Amino acid sequence: MTHFDLFSLRDVFADQGVMICFNGPFSHSVIEELGTAVRKYLESDAAPKDRIADVFAVFVEQAQNLKNYTSNRLFAGAEDGRFRHGTLVIARENDSYIVSSGNLVGPEDVARVKTAIESVSGLDKVELKTLYKQRLRTPVEPGRGAGLGFIDMARRATAPIACSFRELADGNPLDHEGLSSDGGLPAGTVFFNVSVFI
Amino acid sequence: MESLSIKSGVSSPSVDFDPETGLLRMGGESYPENSFEFYTPIIAWLTGYLSDVTHPVRFLVELSYLNTSSTKCMIDLLDQLEAGFKQGVKVSVDWYYDRDNERARDTIEEFREDFTMPFNVIAREG
Repeated sequence: MTHFDLFSLRDVFADQGVMICFNGPFSHSVIEELGTAVRKYLESDAAPKDRIADVFAVFVEQAQNLKNYTSNRLFAGAEDGRFRHGTLVIARENDSYIVSSGNLVGPEDVARVKTAIESVSGLDKVELKTLYKQRLRTPVEPGRGAGLGFIDMARRATAPIACSFRELADGNPLDHEGLSSDGGLPAGTVFFNVSVFI
Repeated sequence: MESLSIKSGVSSPSVDFDPETGLLRMGGESYPENSFEFYTPIIAWLTGYLSDVTHPVRFLVELSYLNTSSTKCMIDLLDQLEAGFKQGVKVSVDWYYDRDNERARDTIEEFREDFTMPFNVIAREG
């Protein structure tokens, strides 16, 4: 038995201005509970209503994306369900709030996420609005996202969306978590990390 | 026609559509687990209702937040109302928002831009 050192974890959170963090499998009820907590926290932080609305909306889009991508059928085989886990953090840095999430994205979804991110990068607010309204009128397959999430996040953001895709090859830094390809992870899976500043 | 009534949840809106009075209300927040599943029967009810309604229809909305997939569904719902309006039904939309939340107003204004039916965006105290 190892005593779990939460003190050092708290230090990391404090250093990075973390207000709320959740790590684990995301269900819809987790999203509802966490969302309620996020809102209450921001209200107690005396954030203006517009700001709270933006942080909450970015939280919902990220959390629902995270849940959708980690529901990948290819991740179902993992013995301990860890492939389905995601991490979501809400932090504050000076006058900005940061909503950040990290999760695995299966090989067949990687291109979709990259395209979605690329489609909003470099666009100004007017161009984002045009793209958003155009996409609102584009039919989508039932059960799939509307393809609007990243556009909505970019519109609410005060700085460009930051993201990274980490390839998970043998010997990668996540190996110690048992996430190597011979641990049952589908080849081509990446760890996707996105941060939105509001 | 039966009325349509759905109780609100943490992430799903209340729906109260009364075919007798023509008052169709929605309120609360909308980020359900599956927006398409939630909105499909609502839109189907509305389409049926508008096909033979003879009195004015008022859509009264008090939704404070819609996620992106709900927004997409809401466009489909408003499209049905607009189609009814163009066929001669007396349709109006009254959408309320908290005056301290400018972002909510912007979202509703963006809906309004796409339609010709009477569409009021109304501020009130949160």
